[in-house]
Parts: sequence; C-alpha cells; structure tokens
Amino acid sequence: MGIVIAVISGKGGVGKTTTTANIGLGIAMNDKKAVVVDFDIGQRNLDMILGLENRVVYDIVQVMDGEAKMKQALIKSKVNENLMFLAASQTKDKTVLDSAKIKNLVEELKEEFDFVILDAPAGIESGYEHTIEFADAAIIVVNPEVSSIRDADRAIGILDSKSQKVKDGEDVQKHLIINRVNPAMVESGEMLKCDDILDILNVPLLGKVPEDRAIIEASNQGKPVITDNNSEAGKAYKRIADRLCGKDVKIPEFVAKKGGILGLFKGMFK
Amino acid sequence: MLTKQFSTQVCEVELVNDDEFISFFEKNYGLFCNHLLSIKGEISAKVESFLQQKGYKYIQNVELPKGKLKEGLEKEIEKVRQEAFLERQELEAKVAKLSNKLQQNLKVMDSLVRSGQELKVDGDLLLLNRVNSGATINVSGSLIITQIVEGSIRCNGDFMMLKASPKANIVFHGVEVDNDYLKDRLNRVELIENKIHITPVLKETNWA
Repeated sequence: MGIVIAVISGKGGVGKTTTTANIGLGIAMNDKKAVVVDFDIGQRNLDMILGLENRVVYDIVQVMDGEAKMKQALIKSKVNENLMFLAASQTKDKTVLDSAKIKNLVEELKEEFDFVILDAPAGIESGYEHTIEFADAAIIVVNPEVSSIRDADRAIGILDSKSQKVKDGEDVQKHLIINRVNPAMVESGEMLKCDDILDILNVPLLGKVPEDRAIIEASNQGKPVITDNNSEAGKAYKRIADRLCGKDVKIPEFVAKKGGILGLFKGMFK
Repeated sequence: MLTKQFSTQVCEVELVNDDEFISFFEKNYGLFCNHLLSIKGEISAKVESFLQQKGYKYIQNVELPKGKLKEGLEKEIEKVRQEAFLERQELEAKVAKLSNKLQQNLKVMDSLVRSGQELKVDGDLLLLNRVNSGATINVSGSLIITQIVEGSIRCNGDFMMLKASPKANIVFHGVEVDNDYLKDRLNRVELIENKIHITPVLKETNWA
C-alpha cells in the first residue's frame, strides 16, 4: 500500500510542477515505484516537463469516467522505468472532478505504487480541494517571499479542514520545500529567512532548492533537472527524494558565490 | 472610670398573696437572705415592712437580663452553626457558578491561526500561538496572545495583551490601534474612562 502525497503551494509559479516531476524521478531513482499525477485539469504542464507531451493518449478524466483503463493511460518515463505519469485533461475543466471517482482512482494507484504524487493546481478552488481530499501527506512548495508564504498558509488552512484524513480525526503529514532560494538575496536581507518562514508556517522543513538557470533549460528540454549532476537544484531535489525514501540526508546552507579574489578569500575564511 | 462586675444570685418571685409570700420567705430565710429578690406585682405596706425587717434586698417590676438554660444555649449554638453552614454553602455555590461562567467563556487555544481563518469567540480568548497575516480574530471579551500577531484583531473586552508586527491591523473597541505602540514586546491595551491606555509589559514575559 503506497502513500499519497499532494504537492501544493496556493500561489502559482512557485515550482509545484517542477518539484513534482523531480521528486517523482528522484524516488524512482531510489528503486521505488512512483506515479506522478497531474491534477491541474485544463492546464496541464507536467507532461512537458517530463518530456512526454507526444505520448499522451488518454487522460485522468477518461480513466475516472471509465472510458479508458488505468493501464492504457499510464505513461512510462523516458528516464526511469520506475516512474509512471498520468496526464491531466487539457480540454475539460476542474468542474468534472468528483470525490467518489477520485477516491477510486487514488485507491487503485495506491495498490500498485509506493508513492502516488499529485500535482495540485494553483489557487484554493475546487480543483485544489479535490487534490488534497484523499492525500496522506502534503508537500508545500513556497518561495521566500511574503505573498507565496501567505498563500501557502491559506492552502495549509484548507488542507487542515477539508482533507478526508483530518475529517477522520487523523493528521495529514506536512513537509515544506523552500524553492528558488537566492543565497545572495537572503544574505542581503531582501528575501525572507528560512527560520522566519518555518516560524510562520509551522511545518517541518523537507528541503531547500536554490534558484538555478538549469531548471528552465531542463524544463524546456523535457528532462527534469535532477538528471543533471552539475546542477545545484538537481542535487537539492535528489537529496529531497532521498529523504522521502527514508534516508538521513542533511540540509546544507547555500552560500552565495562571491566574485573576485577578495570574495574567494572571504569564502575561504568562512 | 472604674467598673466592677459581680455575679449575684437572684430569686424571681411573683407576688399574688401577701401572707403566702411572707410565710415562704420567713421559712426559707437561710436560703434567700443573700439573694436579690426581683418582685413582680404590687408591694403592700405589710410586705414592705416585712422585707425591711428581715433585711432582704429587692427590686420591683424590673425586667432582668436573663441567661439561658443549658438546652436553650445548645439549641442556639446549633442554630448559629447551621446558619453559618448554609451561608457558606451559598457562597461556595456562588463562587462555583462564577468560576464556571469564567471557564465557559474563556477559550484557550494553542493552534496557529492561518491566513484565511476567521476565529470568532464570544467571551475571553487565550491564544498560545501566532496569528498569521490574513487571519482574523474577533473577540467579544478580553484577549491575550502570547506570540506575534500579523493578522487582524477585533477586540471589545476589558483589555488585550499582545505583540503586533507592522503588518497587523488591530482594532480595540472600534478604534484602530497604531502598531508602532505594540511592536517589539508584549503590550497591555486597556480602556479606562473612554481612553485607550497602552502599557508595555516591561519585564520579558516568560510563558514557558
């Protein structure tokens, strides 16, 4: 029996989909069976980031409506055969989602996979509520800026009141990923500090991912950045996936790279 | 002023028949000679001369303060005791009622109030966690928040005690309180004679 993890953020554009793809792949690289499900009905993106655009035949709505079998709709990743992908519908909208059907779908996926990762849509509307409804855990993705923190705070509030697990009197596990951390901006005080974010949201930290140009390039090419061994963000996602698989990996502090000989010396004596 | 207190033996007697009276006190002279006679009724000349001749001290038609018989005393003590007991019970009931009322109206919470959550409390509130930006708390009674407030607060009680960030919006009895007065440390905000008083809690409060 697998675990269902919803990746949420509240605000759009903070890197939910990128995180979903990379964590999914990272878990698969740990020899665990994982499936990533795009719940952003009507605005699917995950297929592009995984580089599987051309392979989508059936989508999640068709599976839920019984028009296609689960096996037909699941797409195997090009990079790792432990990772499967279930696409969102691009033509329908969020109103087609229905609690009972989602429950069936999630139960079916749970039987077969160790990790079921749901990529939630931005916002806190019905699409979001349906994504978190049957989740056992949630990964909250934030950027170190106030609007992202407040939206995430709101999303957590809804998670704590609307999820089925909470209604049954249990707790939904929550993990925080601080994405797009710019070490130079944190040091200069322009970005929120990690401790302040943890104070506000009161959610344990799962990992920090630095801002990295390689991510955009990776997304454009349809190869998740985790496959790039030279990328700092890729390494950070690898560490996060390892932590999710139960490995004890430390969370390193990112230090800004300083230019010039003086900067080099400063870096040496830190 | 000099006062002295004596205890005397008093014999109270109702005078109806002169002869009966004279013969009784004649016969029992030894017993009553040192008593004070308290006589009720009219004293005739005959009786008066008898009393003077015998040297009896007497008073006439005087209501003397009386002590009580043993049973009476015991009864009275019991009565007082019972009254005190009832009074105490009544007081205890009153106190219980009051403290019940307090407990029912005081809400204690230790959960984070997140953005978008609206907390309405009819009574007093003690919150042992922070209030995030975008959260609203509406309290009809007094309010204590032990951690920083970044959301909005509406309080109509006797006082509130909190520490607010510059983002917070705090309204006390319909008046917006300037955040500058509430920053850095815990402050006590009170309404005294239609004026809002803000007193910083100077000592670092340690809630742990």
